[in-house]
Amino acid sequence: MTTTINASNSGGGGLVQTADASGILALQTAGVTAVTVNASQNVGVGTASPTQKVSIAGGLSFNSALSFSGSGYEIGQDGANFLCFSAGSAGTRFINASTATEFMRLDTSSNLQFNSGYGSVAVAYGCRAWVNFNGTGTVAIRASGNVSSITDNGTGNYTVNFTTAMPDASYSICGTVGRGVGFSAPRIIGVGNTNPTANAAQVSTIDDGGGNQDCEFTMVAIIR
Amino acid sequence: MNQRIIFQNDEGGVSVLIPTPECLQDYTIEEIAAKDVPAGKPFKIVDVADIPTDRTFRDAWEADFANPTGHGIGAEAWFAEQAAKEQA
Repeated sequence: MTTTINASNSGGGGLVQTADASGILALQTAGVTAVTVNASQNVGVGTASPTQKVSIAGGLSFNSALSFSGSGYEIGQDGANFLCFSAGSAGTRFINASTATEFMRLDTSSNLQFNSGYGSVAVAYGCRAWVNFNGTGTVAIRASGNVSSITDNGTGNYTVNFTTAMPDASYSICGTVGRGVGFSAPRIIGVGNTNPTANAAQVSTIDDGGGNQDCEFTMVAIIR
Repeated sequence: MNQRIIFQNDEGGVSVLIPTPECLQDYTIEEIAAKDVPAGKPFKIVDVADIPTDRTFRDAWEADFANPTGHGIGAEAWFAEQAAKEQA
């Protein structure tokens, strides 16, 4: 049984109290329990059986930011295969609660680190721009990311212009080229005759004789 | 995308600038031209049909830039302009 305090809407209405020796307190409206405080001082909202200090069965909404005080706070579910979110001196960490394996971290230097099979988290370096285009006939772009345009400078010579500039020119250019079905000779892609800048990277597509060659499949990725 | 931007490159040839569809969702072709054509170089916006598809003599292409559509300002100046607009 439970000691209840009910804001009743039946009969004459008003505050109705019933008491027993259960040590459980229920707050009701219209005869329905909204909040339960059990004998262990756990508070249940929407549940009469709170298992934590506060147990909520139902949604939770905020009209301002949810904030935590102190450090090392965690959000998760112990003892089960659920995400555990933890923030402390190492940064914000995402941990498999059942295996205690960290699989992602936003460190205090604003780096994203991930595990992804490495065994531990390490900084992930992103592809900051990429493009796939046809360098033959009417040069056309198939798809791209963070590339505003391609400049066709001449045979096998293109400039990849970035929509959002790189932090500097010390990025790595990766590329693959191919001439399509019927062409087996190897082709390579290299830095063009203009040095890379934070805003653009010039690349050349080169045939096996060392001369520039237009290629049907030209793919460039910028890693930084 | 049925238009291209052309300008004379430093080697005396014609560079053809192909805007990406992704960038055209956010910027006009004139804005892309201003950013990606080198500073001070006159450019023209032309129909893609005006660009030769035979690239055999690609490096010998010529074009008349006497009446340009505009002039490039270069990426650095363009980014600076964008930053100033955001702060205004």
